[in-house]
Amino acid sequence: MMETISLTINNEVHTVLIETRQTLLSVLRDKLFLCGTKNGCNHGVCGACNVLVDGKAMRACLLLAITLQEREITTIEGLSENGELSLLQKAFASHQAFQCGFCTSGMLISATALLDHDSTPSISKIRHELGGNICRCTGYVQIIDAVKSVCEGKTDCT
Amino acid sequence: MHVKQDGSKYGVGISMPRRESYEKVSGSAVYTDDMVLPGMLYGAVLGSDYAHARIKSYDTKAAKALKGVKAVITAADFDMQRCGMLIKDEHPLARDKVRYIGEPVAAVAAIDMATANLAMQLIEIEYEELDAVFDAEEAMLENAPILHEERDSYDGIVASPGLHNVASYTRCQEGELDVWETCDVIVEGVYETPAQEHMYIEPCSTIADIDPMGKVTVWSSQQSVFIPRQLTAEALGIPMTKLRFITPQVGGAFGGKCGVTNQPVTVALALAANAPVKLTYTRSDDMIMNKSRHPSRIYMRTGADSSGKLIAREAKIYFNTGAYADEGPLIGSVATFFSRGPYKIKNMNVETWCVYTNRTKAGAFRGFGVPQATFAGESQIDELAEKLNMDPFDLRMKNMVATDDKWLGGQNIDHGTLPGCLKAVYEASNLRERPKQQKLDNNKWRGIGVSTSAHVSAVLSASAVVKLNEDGTITINTGAVDIGEGADTILSQMAAETLGLHPDDITYTCTDSDTSPYNYQTAGSRTTYVVGTSVTQASVQVRNQIYKHASEMLESAESDLEILPGSFVGVKGSPDARIPFSAVAGRALNQVGGPIVGMHSWLYHNTPFDKETAMIEGFALDGGGVFCFAAQVAVVDVDKDTGKVEVVEFWSAHDVGCAINPKSVEGQIFGGVVQGLGYALFEELVWIDGQISNPSMMDYKVPGMNDVPYDIHAIILETQEKTGPFGARGVGEIPLNGVAPAICNAIASATGARVRTIPATSERVLQEILKLE
Amino acid sequence: MNYVEPSSITELMNYVTTVEDYRCLAGGATLVAMMNVGLVEPELLISLHKLDELKGMRIDQNVIRIGAMTTHTAITDEDRLTGNASLVRSAAGQIAHSAVRNMGTIGGAISHADPSADFPAALTAANATIEVLGPSGRRVIQIDDFFVNYLETSLTEKEIVMAIMVPLSPADAIGHHLKFSRVDGDYATVSVSLALAMEGRICSYARIAVGSVAAVPLRLKEADDILIGSNLEESEIARASELLLKSSDPIDDVRGSSSYRKFLIPRLIRQAVLQSKKELSYT
Repeated sequence: MMETISLTINNEVHTVLIETRQTLLSVLRDKLFLCGTKNGCNHGVCGACNVLVDGKAMRACLLLAITLQEREITTIEGLSENGELSLLQKAFASHQAFQCGFCTSGMLISATALLDHDSTPSISKIRHELGGNICRCTGYVQIIDAVKSVCEGKTDCT
Repeated sequence: MHVKQDGSKYGVGISMPRRESYEKVSGSAVYTDDMVLPGMLYGAVLGSDYAHARIKSYDTKAAKALKGVKAVITAADFDMQRCGMLIKDEHPLARDKVRYIGEPVAAVAAIDMATANLAMQLIEIEYEELDAVFDAEEAMLENAPILHEERDSYDGIVASPGLHNVASYTRCQEGELDVWETCDVIVEGVYETPAQEHMYIEPCSTIADIDPMGKVTVWSSQQSVFIPRQLTAEALGIPMTKLRFITPQVGGAFGGKCGVTNQPVTVALALAANAPVKLTYTRSDDMIMNKSRHPSRIYMRTGADSSGKLIAREAKIYFNTGAYADEGPLIGSVATFFSRGPYKIKNMNVETWCVYTNRTKAGAFRGFGVPQATFAGESQIDELAEKLNMDPFDLRMKNMVATDDKWLGGQNIDHGTLPGCLKAVYEASNLRERPKQQKLDNNKWRGIGVSTSAHVSAVLSASAVVKLNEDGTITINTGAVDIGEGADTILSQMAAETLGLHPDDITYTCTDSDTSPYNYQTAGSRTTYVVGTSVTQASVQVRNQIYKHASEMLESAESDLEILPGSFVGVKGSPDARIPFSAVAGRALNQVGGPIVGMHSWLYHNTPFDKETAMIEGFALDGGGVFCFAAQVAVVDVDKDTGKVEVVEFWSAHDVGCAINPKSVEGQIFGGVVQGLGYALFEELVWIDGQISNPSMMDYKVPGMNDVPYDIHAIILETQEKTGPFGARGVGEIPLNGVAPAICNAIASATGARVRTIPATSERVLQEILKLE
Repeated sequence: MNYVEPSSITELMNYVTTVEDYRCLAGGATLVAMMNVGLVEPELLISLHKLDELKGMRIDQNVIRIGAMTTHTAITDEDRLTGNASLVRSAAGQIAHSAVRNMGTIGGAISHADPSADFPAALTAANATIEVLGPSGRRVIQIDDFFVNYLETSLTEKEIVMAIMVPLSPADAIGHHLKFSRVDGDYATVSVSLALAMEGRICSYARIAVGSVAAVPLRLKEADDILIGSNLEESEIARASELLLKSSDPIDDVRGSSSYRKFLIPRLIRQAVLQSKKELSYT
């Protein structure tokens, strides 16, 4: 069944006609063309579709869009402001904390949620909180380094 | 290296951020599935329910009649030819027979995914089930069902007719066969390695668009624009003038997107529907329909004298290539070629069979036959050391190859960089002081393991075009697809170094089969070396033309000129005598000589095998490439109650010749080590009655951040490669090769238990521990 | 598929009783994954997220009532889960990964009744009771009677889990959920949940449940009784484990063979009991 709903995404209200069974991931990608959120497995394991819902990281592939009408959603596109990257995004760039980049959006969302809660996490806390985001390229070391550098206020390592 | 006016450094040797950093961290990088074309249809592929069956009939009427369905194709509707990387044995949609569960038999294009999925349920296919065989050695038995009745007529087949279900057979023999009596110590064992899934995070995706003249433009997540175009043209019987392949960003590949994936079917759907079609695999379709790493069973024995000098090795290697050969014959050849490891063993006799079975096909995957051979070989080095009562590290040092030693088959090793790698990990891991076995709390035991490995970089051909633009910037055009490893960045750095330009003044064109010069594939650790050589040489040509113009413009000899930062060329020692590149470009375009373009094209020439010393049979490669070496050390904790292994620290030393971008090199090392760790401990496609029982990320586990150590130490050594661009050689594959044996050697050191089947799951480790109790 | 968000229990029961083919949506972590692959496609989807009664935690007479819609993260962060109930907190923090814990709910998790999930075994060891609501009213199901078979509970048709009640007592008990899995965040190959208390050197309370080794969480009163009153010596732990092992009936799957799981049962029980004993002797 089709229904028109309103979603608040990156501080903007979108009115969109969806199917009731449609996931947030599908609405973001197929209806709103916010394609930074990626589909890696569509069953909640890889983390490439992570978004923030009321500040908490969640899997967009496991959320039905229709349930989110009163929630604040933030996607990767909402992490930068007017094209200006966040400190974490800059740190990912300077530490080469990505290779193919397909997991990067979800990884940055999880890292953003982590640092919003705890600005100085230990390495073990970083590993614990980002443990649900699978990266097949980097071996994770440079991702941890990038997150750590933001906590230490040293994002530029070139 | 160059220094900009603001003091920042650029060029070769600098860890410049990736060219595509902004796009990738902001979520704006465009991958194939992110694209939408007007009127685009959505494709889906129906897989076989049988492991081995004859297709009796199709009924697609109901599917075709469904509202919103624009095309339904099967081998009956669409005439497709057999294609394949080495052996032409595979139809994009099964014809006459299906040979594995999940093999594509029909495809649908519809106005949306829901309609496409519904249409697939309406397709009826009548099968006559045949006996199936799933094990490589069983498939070679006389009474095993035959997968490919027409095998002997296939284009590219090299296995002799008598070999039942064998796609390729390779043998290499050196020295004597009957030397085992002269060995004081012999170890013998059977080693098994799993079908590892690539698990790139981006599943395969292709979009095919068709223009009014019938030309099809294809965007796909792939490792080359040329090989998939060639194979698609072959499969569909259409000329290359009707096919244009473009690669957007690729979300990881690791060999899994070599050759073709779903491009031919997508193109066929677009042609049938006469509309653009997108076909993105679901994760489970990707795991079932696309290839994995070749599982292997390796029978190996190695002998040494009492001093520890290696004397002989014999190996029989069985690769299960699944239903189709793909790159199996080449991978089998590579495994044979690397079966001696980086050691001097005078007497070698190695045979490799690549065998058809009724499983999803196996193909290219980072390491390409070397991880399998290295797992067996490096395990045996430790097993020998134990029997000899020698330190495994010393045994390696005693037998390793060095500069000007010969590789198996006779090729000279021009840069024997293994000793440096071994010494580097020895010192960095403080190996001398570390206990081989240490009891920790509860029933946990700590151990340490070493491995060495080798690889070659450089195969086949590449080319590059470098153009000086009107404003003095340059455009690089190569056929090299950046699959995430960073080729675009490091190739730009090489051009930047040669021309003194900041990478911001270099634009890099997207690979496009219509406009890019040829390059084979992003594979075989070859891009830095082979494409890098082309980019550098083409840049040198541009530089020389700039000098020629500048010499006339500045009235100085060419030899007195130098490139200056900021796109200037000037006279050495005269700071005022300089002109911008833009002035040179303007002169070339409008006054003298014509546009400045550098073009370089070449084919890497293998050193052929030495037929005097080696008996070689069935090789799909006619020699090696540029040798790369690595040494690795793992420290693991093993819980003897459960068998669970935790890798706590890892060292990986690589001689890369020249690190064009050190952070990118480290990234390759970290990533390769962790993929190798998954291979060693967790990853395995499991078939039950011909069906993959774990085709999801929930059931097939790749390591996450909590499953791998943060303490992975990448050690980069730089012994200049004489023939490489800026002295560089490749590093893409080698970090994975030796991880599994290093970890299993560490498990043995911690517990005394030798695991010869990977992944060394806690269950397998516990089984081996229990055998000792 | 139709979708509704009832905001009162009456409204909820109205949907439940009038529609045949419905599913209740809690956090969605399991249900939406099943919908994505076409395994489930109900006529009506009833979201429970507007029902206040299903939210939050409160303590009443030494029992903490956890609303069915409470997320794993909220449980992990809940300081009031002490004594016996600390076991539930320990289990919640080990489910999948943080982004899934932020979505998944305890009510959804137990209604799915997957024996390899973490809550079924943990709530069994914690001696929880389940408050359910159906057309004929409310009732309370003891946890030992709740899980009936693989993916099957004793909920009658049209009944819904409202809350999970976990006793805080024994207040001096400590709870542990020892999870053994292939990799971090995977389903357990075997898990051992236990609540344990000691008076001096004598075990005064013990309740053990083993997960992933049978169609339902495995718990035996006889095994607990061996430990209670004992000094928790190796031989006593071994006897209790032996009983549990005998009653286990694990399956073969990609997470481990049946025989491997059987190997793990006594070994993990021993680890869990000794670890708890050690901690108790420090407190």
